[in-house]
Amino acid sequence: MEVMAKVAFGLYTLIILGGSVLAIGAKSLVRAMVGLIATLLGVAGMYMLLNSPFMALMQILIYVGAVCVLIFFAIMLAKAGPEGEEAESAPIYQNVLALLAVTVTGGVLSWLVLTRPLATTGVPVEVTIEKLGLGLLGPYGLAFELISVVLLVSMAGAVLLAWERRNGK
Amino acid sequence: MSPLTMYQLVALILLLAGLFGITQRKTLVGMLICVELMLNGAGLSIVAAAQLTPANAMLGQLGTLFVMGLAAAEATLVLAIIVVIARRFGSTKTSVVSTLKG
Repeated sequence: MEVMAKVAFGLYTLIILGGSVLAIGAKSLVRAMVGLIATLLGVAGMYMLLNSPFMALMQILIYVGAVCVLIFFAIMLAKAGPEGEEAESAPIYQNVLALLAVTVTGGVLSWLVLTRPLATTGVPVEVTIEKLGLGLLGPYGLAFELISVVLLVSMAGAVLLAWERRNGK
Repeated sequence: MSPLTMYQLVALILLLAGLFGITQRKTLVGMLICVELMLNGAGLSIVAAAQLTPANAMLGQLGTLFVMGLAAAEATLVLAIIVVIARRFGSTKTSVVSTLKG
């Protein structure tokens, strides 16, 4: 089982790597979305490996099911040219600055992660869905209510922003 | 290398991919895709840290659930903003939307 977990981890890491390369490198935004979906599915697999199947299902339901469809709508509503949205390549100084940002951030964070290992339990803890539901209704009820307010406000704001006024008003 | 470190490194890769993309992309939708990548890295890091350490695992999973909810709200708003910008400027390239540049 130990070997299987390592093989699955490697496979999901490869999916995440390939997907994110496609997501940030593709010339056409629809292809970038396909890469993003592959990455999201890889992260869902990681959640399964971490013994939290509910999070994996929510990842697929919310991200792949809702957020990706929303972004597809955004791609359709923003008119693209025939050769793809990201056809012309970025100027050199922009590439250099992007690489600088990535190396500095990655260097600092990976140094922190590698030199300050935390005490870990070998096996992921199991949290049942029942406990999660009780947590949402009990100690974290306020956060649960607030996230619904945030969703309502963002939905109302989106409708208000995209409202097409009739002629003459 | 402990499993937690490996998960954190994968999350770091997601964060860096998003950071590189967001400085590189030239359309608003491309930047939105990169923001989603970074948020996924944050979620993976939170769940890994909660599941593999003696910390409160329920809190970690619920926190990631809230991150997903916020990502959905953010994507909704960005969709509306993209619709408005596409209507007003005729394009969603970041080089076109530069009225404040002077």
